[in-house]
Amino acid sequence: MISFYFQRLVEIFPFFLKGLWMTVIVAGSGLVFGTICGFLLGILRAGKNKVITRLIGVYVAVIRGTPFVVQIFIVFFILPEWGIQLDALPAAILALSILGTAFICEIVAGGVKAVAAGQWEAAASSGLTRIQQLRLVIIPQAMQTILPPLVGQYVLLIKDSSVVSVIGVVELTRVGWVTVVRIPEGLMVFSLVGFLYFVISYPLIRLSNYLEKRMAVQETKL
Amino acid sequence: MIKFDGVNKWYGKLHVLNDINLEVASGEVVVICGPSGSGKSTLIRCINRLEKFQKGELYVDGMPLHDHGTSLTKLRADIGFVFQQFHLYPHMTALQNVTLAPIHVRKVSKKDAEALGRQKLIRVGLEDKADAYPTQLSGGQQQRVAIARGLAMSPKIMLFDEPTSALDPEMIGEVLDVMVKLAKEGMTMCVVTHEMGFARQVADRVIFMDAGQLIETGPPTQFFDNPQTKRAAQFISKILTH
Amino acid sequence: MLEGFNFRIIWEYMPFFMEGVRNTALISLISLFLALIAGIVACAGRLSKWKLLRGVAIFYIESIRTTPLLVQIYFFYFGLPTLGFRIPELQTGILALMLNSGAYIAEIIRAGITSVPSGQIEAGVSSGLNYFQRMRFIILPQAVGVTVPPLLGQAIVLVKDTALLSLISVMELTRCGQVLTSERFMPTEAFFTVAFFYLCLYFCLKTLADWSQKKLIFREVY
Repeated sequence: MISFYFQRLVEIFPFFLKGLWMTVIVAGSGLVFGTICGFLLGILRAGKNKVITRLIGVYVAVIRGTPFVVQIFIVFFILPEWGIQLDALPAAILALSILGTAFICEIVAGGVKAVAAGQWEAAASSGLTRIQQLRLVIIPQAMQTILPPLVGQYVLLIKDSSVVSVIGVVELTRVGWVTVVRIPEGLMVFSLVGFLYFVISYPLIRLSNYLEKRMAVQETKL
Repeated sequence: MIKFDGVNKWYGKLHVLNDINLEVASGEVVVICGPSGSGKSTLIRCINRLEKFQKGELYVDGMPLHDHGTSLTKLRADIGFVFQQFHLYPHMTALQNVTLAPIHVRKVSKKDAEALGRQKLIRVGLEDKADAYPTQLSGGQQQRVAIARGLAMSPKIMLFDEPTSALDPEMIGEVLDVMVKLAKEGMTMCVVTHEMGFARQVADRVIFMDAGQLIETGPPTQFFDNPQTKRAAQFISKILTH
Repeated sequence: MLEGFNFRIIWEYMPFFMEGVRNTALISLISLFLALIAGIVACAGRLSKWKLLRGVAIFYIESIRTTPLLVQIYFFYFGLPTLGFRIPELQTGILALMLNSGAYIAEIIRAGITSVPSGQIEAGVSSGLNYFQRMRFIILPQAVGVTVPPLLGQAIVLVKDTALLSLISVMELTRCGQVLTSERFMPTEAFFTVAFFYLCLYFCLKTLADWSQKKLIFREVY
């Protein structure tokens, strides 16, 4: 019986690869938008304007305080009531981007704040504008602190992307969910799904560990 | 060149600058000394607007700093500032540290900026360290690069905030030598320091501050050998005995 | 946008929501408690001298960390019946949460223990204390300060993770929102209320976590 199901699983494998590809698209898009917006918000969050800092803080707290599945339901079911009708895939990418932005914002703000105040002063004293100071002096140094947790956050976003399966996006988890009806070998099916997630997460985890070690070495050199 | 007119600054309830009236002429070398907490760092940081003040007027090269409309980037491009902690950019080489502002503020081409930068590094005695990173340089070398970085903008004024206080004793000399050369070449300088040898050598005036006020000012020989006020006398005796 | 927000419906369903909050809190507490045990066991395995035990622990921890929680939930939900275990959804869900948080807790504890400076251990050895005495009097008390804040952070994550149990029909807070949406077609009222309650739980836990951060750190004093 098991070998029969195993055979069928092998036949259906391309379907899993399509799901994997969809996961890459959803997670990848969320990752890209989240990084862009996260950097912008993070830089603002590390700034001196208290109103902006507090507003962003509220946004981050709301995102971190509610389950992602609830956020997806809000984007998919509530936005239409306000006139914004989204298909499942755009809604999924939007929700994941909102999630990613909040977490990356905190990582970036932490990195920027970690740069010594003297660096800001030295750059300002040479007559550089605020934007030049950020671009040439502060952000390059902040990247050291930002990169390891940023890559770690990418792994988390890939795992969170599994939740978009609830609104019908046919990514990897959904493929497993749908398959298990026809091939009732839950252990086999979801071991395969898990393994495929591992395959795309593992390179990033290794990268994050490597970056963390490199950062520790750089600190001791200083 | 620099004119403080009734400048006052409060930090909460603390009166950190108390009715400062001071004029520095072009080409003058002024040394500011005093006990810690006297407001001397705050004073020179006002000149390039790293610090703001609540009352009074401050003119730098004719530009009114107390006026909110003054362009800070333009002002700061003409003033060089050397920090106690050097604050070199750790992710750039010495040469890149020196050429950053000329390229991005004065819009000089990269080639011209590098030639200029090497010239300034020669002037501080570090032409062979152009491609070294700050972590590869000693404290004294880093501070000299910081001075070159300030000079690269061809400033009208150079400000020094305790430039040798963070250095090991054997490296203080090399930095002071550069500063002496600079003073003899006619640069307008305001230096906050405890190095009295330097003051005697090149200062036109020594200013003593305590608790936010300008207590005494005079040429170095007069100030050190014949202080007019009791507080200045106390301070000098404390420095000399240590 | 919020005109016509039907507060009466929420009031009508309030007992229902309260039950959901209660269930979420209970599930979280039980899973957290079990996860602590699992985490301690796994951590002990991870730090043990026997390669086999270490290997099993590492395999367990890494499998959990590289795969999404939803996949793990589906793995047990669809997989256990094929092995002959007919377990109700609630228990299956708690099992999945326990194993998931257990792996992360194992790593948190391990980080706490290895953070105690080796000089402390040497001092203990020099005094003639054996392994258990060193653990009890020197290492664990100092590890506690480093461990408790991330543990509380994991508790916050766990509360949000319970929301995924709604997808296997467990009656907790998120499921209340789904039920209200399907019965009365009011996703806005349903999910904003759900989000509100999660935020309440989040702020309680976050306040506790921030307080513990300040109070429980012991550092070597030179």
